[in-house]
Amino acid sequence: MTWIRDVFRRRALERDLAEEIRQHLDEKVDDLMLQGISRDEATRRARREFGNSTLVEEQGRDVWRWPFVEDGMVDLRYAFRHLRRTPAFAFAAIATLALGIGASVAMFTVVNAVVLRPLPFPAPDRLVAIESRDRRSSAPDTLSYPTFFDFRNRAKGLERIASFRTSSLTLSGRGLPIQLRAQIVSWDFFQTLGVEPVAGRWFLREEESPGARVVILSHETWTSVFGGDSSVIGAAVTIGGEPHVVVGIAPAGFNFPLHSRPDQIWTTLAHDASSDTVTPMTRQRGARVLHTVARLAPGIAIEEAHAQLDTLASAIARDEPDQNKNIDRTYLTPALERLLGQSRAAVLILWAAVSLLMLTACANVASLLLARTTDREREFTLRLAIGGSSRRIIQQLVTENVVLAGIGCAAGVAVAVTAIDWLLPLAADTLPRAEDVRTDMRVLSFAVVLALITTLLISAPAALRVARGRSRRPLGAGARATTDDRQGTRGLLVVAQVAVSLFLLTGAAILAATFVRIVERDLGFKPEHLMTFSVSLPSARFPLDRQVQFVDELIDRLKATPGVTAASGGMPLPLEGDEINVSFEIEQRPSAPSDRPHANMAIVTPAYFETIGTPVIAGRNFTTMDDETHRRVLVVNQAFAERFFPGESAIGKRVKPGATSKRDKGTVSREIVGIVGNARQGMLSLQPEPIYYFPYKQLPWGAPSVVVRSNTESGLEPAVRSIVAEMAAEVAVHDVRWFGDVLVQGRSAPQLAMLLIGSIALIALVLTATGLYGLLSYSVLRRTREIGIRVALGATQALIVSMVVRQVLTLIGTGIVLGSLAGIAADVVLRQRLGMTGPALAPLLALACFLVVLTAAFASYVPARRAAAINPTEALRNE
Amino acid sequence: MKSRDRKDLFPGALELMVLQTLRQEPRHGYALAQHIKRASNDLLSVEEGSLYPALQRMLRNGWLKARWGTSASGRRVRVYELTEKGHSRLTHEVSSFERMLEGIRLVLGPAAAARAWKP
Repeated sequence: MTWIRDVFRRRALERDLAEEIRQHLDEKVDDLMLQGISRDEATRRARREFGNSTLVEEQGRDVWRWPFVEDGMVDLRYAFRHLRRTPAFAFAAIATLALGIGASVAMFTVVNAVVLRPLPFPAPDRLVAIESRDRRSSAPDTLSYPTFFDFRNRAKGLERIASFRTSSLTLSGRGLPIQLRAQIVSWDFFQTLGVEPVAGRWFLREEESPGARVVILSHETWTSVFGGDSSVIGAAVTIGGEPHVVVGIAPAGFNFPLHSRPDQIWTTLAHDASSDTVTPMTRQRGARVLHTVARLAPGIAIEEAHAQLDTLASAIARDEPDQNKNIDRTYLTPALERLLGQSRAAVLILWAAVSLLMLTACANVASLLLARTTDREREFTLRLAIGGSSRRIIQQLVTENVVLAGIGCAAGVAVAVTAIDWLLPLAADTLPRAEDVRTDMRVLSFAVVLALITTLLISAPAALRVARGRSRRPLGAGARATTDDRQGTRGLLVVAQVAVSLFLLTGAAILAATFVRIVERDLGFKPEHLMTFSVSLPSARFPLDRQVQFVDELIDRLKATPGVTAASGGMPLPLEGDEINVSFEIEQRPSAPSDRPHANMAIVTPAYFETIGTPVIAGRNFTTMDDETHRRVLVVNQAFAERFFPGESAIGKRVKPGATSKRDKGTVSREIVGIVGNARQGMLSLQPEPIYYFPYKQLPWGAPSVVVRSNTESGLEPAVRSIVAEMAAEVAVHDVRWFGDVLVQGRSAPQLAMLLIGSIALIALVLTATGLYGLLSYSVLRRTREIGIRVALGATQALIVSMVVRQVLTLIGTGIVLGSLAGIAADVVLRQRLGMTGPALAPLLALACFLVVLTAAFASYVPARRAAAINPTEALRNE
Repeated sequence: MKSRDRKDLFPGALELMVLQTLRQEPRHGYALAQHIKRASNDLLSVEEGSLYPALQRMLRNGWLKARWGTSASGRRVRVYELTEKGHSRLTHEVSSFERMLEGIRLVLGPAAAARAWKP
C-alpha cells in the first residue's frame, strides 16, 4: 500500500520541493551578483534560466501521484463542472434517477420488513401452515377439530402441530367490562412456535379437557389491565362470566398470525369442547374453523411431511365420506408465506412494477448519456489521436455516471422516505407487519447496490461505444456522420420503454376499472347514518332464553331512543367480510351430503331489511311471528334465487339447511317465504353472492350484531353504551362503527393499489415521452445537414416530417406489441392467482395503447416540426 | 531557441547525466545544474527548472535519496545521493545507451555519424 504512504508524505514532499526551488533561485542570484550584475537583472536572469517554476512544481508533484485515484478525483471535479455547465441535462438525469431509485427503494423498504424478514421465532423456516384442500374448488380451507386431532396423533413428520382460531372474550369484574381479541388454541401453541413465557408457564396437555378454564395474557394486557402485577399468575379472572385461572404471560410484542392488532388473550380449545351447539365443535368433522401451525420434525423435508398428510387426508376422506369425501388432500405452506397471504404477492408485484420503472429510468438516462457521448465524440477522437487510452476515457465516463447515480441515489432515498411516510398509513390495516416498515441498514445497502447497478446500466451503452472504437474515426468535419443513423442501442431502449409503459398503464387501467366498479356498484343497502355495534353475552350468565330476551329488549329500547328510526340485529353484517358458509339440501332435488350445494347464511331479526335499507322484492319479510313456535322459514336474496332456482320462483320452495338450532334437535325443512335485494357481504366482491337468511328466534346462535339507523350521528354511541350498562353491567359493548367509515376503510386497499400502480405508470409514461423526445431531437440535430440538402432538393415539409417520424414508428409498434403481450399475460396471471374477477381487458388495453400512441405523437411533434422548419442555407452553412 | 531544440536529446538523457554526476559525489540541485551545464559544454543547457521533476521521478523510483544539509556557502540545501538501485540503474542505462549509439553509428556510417554530431 505504498500509495497510501505516498499520499501522506505528499505534503512534506511538496514543501521540500518549493523550498528547494527557492534556494536554487537565491543561489543563482547570488552567483550572478558576484559576477557584478545588479540584483534586479540577476533575479530576472535567474528566473528566465530556471523556467516556469510553477510548472516545475506541478510536474514535480505529478511524479508522486497515484494515477487511478487521482485521475478519479480529477474526473470527479470535471464531472461536477460538466453537470453544472449543462443544468437541464443534469436535472433531467438526476430527477429521472431519483424517481426510479426512490420508488424502488421505497418498495424494497416494504419488501424488506414484510416479506424478507423471517418470523421472530427460533428456526422459523421449519414452521409450516397446514390447510385442507377440497377436490372440487382446490381452494385451501381450514380444518375441523377431529381432522386436526387425527393429524396431531398420526403425522410423524411433524414435531408439533398447534391449532388456533380467532375469537373474542369479555373480561369483566374489573371496572367496565372489556372485550379482548382472543385466540382459542391447542395446548402447545406457544411451544410449537418456540417462545418462552415472561412469567408463569404455558398451557398443559390436560388443560385441553372440557371444563378446564385457563388463560394466558398478552404482555400488553398484563401491563395495561393488571399493571404488570405478577400476583395475577395463578389468580382467577372473570372471562365470559366465568372464573379462569391466569397461568402465564406471553412475551411483549408476541403476535403470531400477524394481526394488524395483536391478540390480547389466549385460552385452550377446552373453550370449544363445551359450546352451545348440539355436538361440541371439537367433535364436529364438518365444522372447519381451525388454522394450524406446525413445526417439521428434525430432518424431515416439507415435501415428505406433505406426502404423509395427504395420505392421512385421503384416509379420512374414505372413513368419513359424509363430511370429508372431497377433502382428500392438504396444503403445506411455509408459515410466513401463508400468514402474508395475498399481501406477499401484492408487495412483490408492486416491487416488480417499480423495478421496471427503475429500468425505464435507467434506459432514459442511458439514452441521454449516449446522446451526450456522441456529441463529445470529437473530444474523445482528439484524445485518442494524441495517445489517450480508451480505458482512461471510459473511466472518466463512468466517474461522471457515478456522480449522477450517487446524487440520484441520495435524492431517491429522500423520495423513498417521503413516499413511505405518506403512503404507509393508507396500508396500515391491510399490510401485515406494516408497523415494522423502516429504513434500516439493509435498505440503505440496497440503495447503494442500486446506485452501482444504475451506474453500470447507464454507463454500459456509452462505454461499449468507446471501447469498440466507434470514436476512432477521422477527425474531419465529415465525422459528423450523415450515415450513422442506425440507432441500435437507443432504439432498443425506446422499444423497452414503450413496452414497459404500456404494460404498467394496462395494469393501472385494470385496477382503476376494478376500483371504479367497486365504488360504483350497488351495495344493496343504504350505509348512510347506519351504525353497528356488538355485545358479548357470556353463555354462563345468559342461557339461550335470556339471550333472546336480552336482544329483544335491547332493540326495543334502541328504537325508543330519540333520533333512532330503526334498529335490529344481524349476523354477519354486510361488508364485514365474515362468512358463515353452510350446505343445504333442496327438497325437490335430493342429493348425498357431500354433493349438496352451499351458500353463505345470515341470522337476522324481523326489522333487519328495513333497518339496513334492503328492499323485499317478492314474498314477505320476517315478522315477529317467525319464532320457534311457528313454522320454520327462510328469506333468500335474489342471487340465491337465481342461482339455485333458475327460471322458477323460489317462493314456497323447501330447503333443509345444515345449520340447526339446539331446540330443533337435527335438521329441519324450511320454506322460502321471501326474496330480498342483494346486500353485499364482502367488501370487494363485484358479483352479488347468494345468501339465505334465518329468523333469529328460529336459530339463536349467540347474540347478533346490532344495526341502528339514526337521523343524527352525534350522541348515539354514548346513548347505546348507557342503555347496555343499564341492562347488564357486565356486558361489554364493542366494535362500534359507522358504515360510512367501514366503506372508506374497506376501499383503502384497492385504492392504494390503484394509486401506486397509477402513479408508477404515469411516471413511466412521462419517461417514455422524454426518452422518445430525446432520441428524435438528437437525430434531427445530427441530420440537420442531410435534411437541409433534402429541402434544397425540393423535399416538402410533410415529407421531412414523415421521414423523421418513420424511424420511430417501428420502434413504437414493436414496443406496443411487446407491452400488449405482457399486459395480456399479466391479466391472465392476475385472474388465476388472485382470483380477481376483473373487467374486460380489451377496451382497457386499447385505452392504454391510445395513451401511449398519443404520448409518442406528442413527443415526436416538436422534433419533427423542428426538422420541417430547417432552412437549407443555414443548415449547410452550419457545417 | 537553440537550447530548446536540443533540450530533449533523447528520452532519459537528463536522468543519465544526473546519475552519472551524482556517482562522483552527492550534490544539491543548483550544483547539479551548474555541473551538468559545464560538463556538457553547454550542449545540454536545458531550463534549470526541468531538473527538478526529473529528480523527483528518480527519488520516487528509489535511485536517489535526499537529505537537507548545509552547503559550502552556508546555505540550507537538499543534497542528493545515489542509492544502490541508482548505481545499478546507471550501469544499465550506460550500457543500453552505448548499444544505441553503436547502432546509430552502424546505420549512419562513420562519416555520417561524425557529420550528424556537428552542430
